[in-house]
Amino acid sequence: MGTINSALSIMSQALEADQGALNIVANNVANANTPGYTKETPSWQENQPINISGVSYGQGVTETGATSARDKVLESRLDQQQQLASASGSRLAALDTLQALFTPDSGSSSSTAGDIGSDITKFFSSFSSLEANPTDNSHRQAVLSAAKTLSGDISNAAASLNSQRSALDQEAAGVTSQVNSLTSAIAQLNQQIQTTSPNDDAGTLENQRQEDLSKLSQLIGINQVTTENNGLAITTTSGALLVSGNSSYQLTTGTVSGVTDFFVGNADITSQLATGGGSLGGYLMARDTDIPSALNSLDQLAYSISTAVNTQNNAGIDLDGVTGTAANPLYIFSQPTVVAGSAASMSVVMTDPNQIAAAGAGDGTGDNSNATAMAALANQSIVNGQTPTDYYSNFVTTLGSTVSNVQTENTAQNASVTQLQTQNNALSGVNLNDEASSMTTFERSYQAASQVFAMLNTVMASALNLGEQATVS
Amino acid sequence: MRENGELRERPKLKELVVEASRALSRLDAERLEELALSCQALNRELERGDAAERQALANESKDAAGDMAVFARVLEATRANLSVMNRLRELRAGRLEYGRVEWAGTESRHGDN
Repeated sequence: MGTINSALSIMSQALEADQGALNIVANNVANANTPGYTKETPSWQENQPINISGVSYGQGVTETGATSARDKVLESRLDQQQQLASASGSRLAALDTLQALFTPDSGSSSSTAGDIGSDITKFFSSFSSLEANPTDNSHRQAVLSAAKTLSGDISNAAASLNSQRSALDQEAAGVTSQVNSLTSAIAQLNQQIQTTSPNDDAGTLENQRQEDLSKLSQLIGINQVTTENNGLAITTTSGALLVSGNSSYQLTTGTVSGVTDFFVGNADITSQLATGGGSLGGYLMARDTDIPSALNSLDQLAYSISTAVNTQNNAGIDLDGVTGTAANPLYIFSQPTVVAGSAASMSVVMTDPNQIAAAGAGDGTGDNSNATAMAALANQSIVNGQTPTDYYSNFVTTLGSTVSNVQTENTAQNASVTQLQTQNNALSGVNLNDEASSMTTFERSYQAASQVFAMLNTVMASALNLGEQATVS
Repeated sequence: MRENGELRERPKLKELVVEASRALSRLDAERLEELALSCQALNRELERGDAAERQALANESKDAAGDMAVFARVLEATRANLSVMNRLRELRAGRLEYGRVEWAGTESRHGDN
């Protein structure tokens, strides 16, 4: 074998192997901007040497294919963080819309939901004005006008909330087809990967599967379980099976209590999806928690104000000397029977301003004691143990605090996703030395950031003279 | 702050905090180390500062409180990510130590090349 021919043969094989490796490098360059592409490195295999008379002769090298450099742990962590960021992102968008509804619009000439706080003040103040002139028609008209503005803004706010809830419901339902399309594609890829590459990385096919997993993670919260022969099972975070081997299980929808619920098989997994992550989780959290909570607060406000004002008006006598009875009550607002739905149905039923009972029962029609009592309702704890103004103010403050918290979460989760993407890119196809260097940058960043945080904390605590300062380890 | 005879305006606390969150998101260690130096300078300035400057900083601190909460959460997420990365490195090191020898195919074991 030690001939020129054999030497040329070995060199020729080496050149072919190098050509194969160059093709892989060219493929890496060509796909540098392809989403989900993972860098590939050539694999080499030494040709079996031959042994002649106890002497071993090498036979050169063969390029045996490409191996993708991927970290499934890191990719899985990235998917998980993506799920959280998508959930808080879609929930934040809904909360921003919700908060905007209750923000006063200084540029608007017409009254809106953002004016409810001042509507409450103006409504009860109108009784104070009536108190001074209990028989004056213009003051009576002013009371009804303020009542209409208040009830109109509350009922319009409730209508807007219901409308936003319907829009979120449609967006959530629209996610279903995207989820099913992706789980079907992943099941098919599973089959191809298990058939063609049961023991090694499947390169392009695994890139496609990872890309689909990444898209799926933006839609719903999932868990990934690696199975034999490079297979992958996917469940929702609550454990409902979506993909197993080459089978996918469809997410279906049905209407329950007027909204879309989500099923896998016969199991209703709507509440689990709401807390699971992905944009669907965010939509459902806003639809089933944030908006109902806001609606419930408005209902309570409308129910309590309507009931207290109607009861007080019914206790006095109107300008015509009439006292309210069970059959013919002197109600200003429509009287709700239950809290739920009170905001949407709030309206002014009184049309004759003379029916405002400014006088106390048993007193003359020129008396003002009942108008005084109605004005005093503004400072009484008639809404869940709070005054109407305080109750509304606390509602708006709580909403603002929720928005702020979700905003903080979303910013932090997006930062985490960015970090992991940076790290994933840096680690793609590197050796241990490069990885150590990348980790050093990560650790340096963390340590420097910890120092910045500690020092800023010190500066801020000193400036505010808060005393004991928090530290970050 | 005086530099080369010129008065240079100090960066606002809020800007520092927001910039720190951004730098940490993209793991920009050098920028974070620069910011750490800025914070040291700010700390010294606070110690030397008069009542008016302290009041200005107090106002800025209130203004930056929300961004500081964001920075704290980003730091927390970074710590969690760092744990994952360290675990990953240990797994890789373990695989190299106990698994198949990765470089075997690229070198001849016969001494005749």
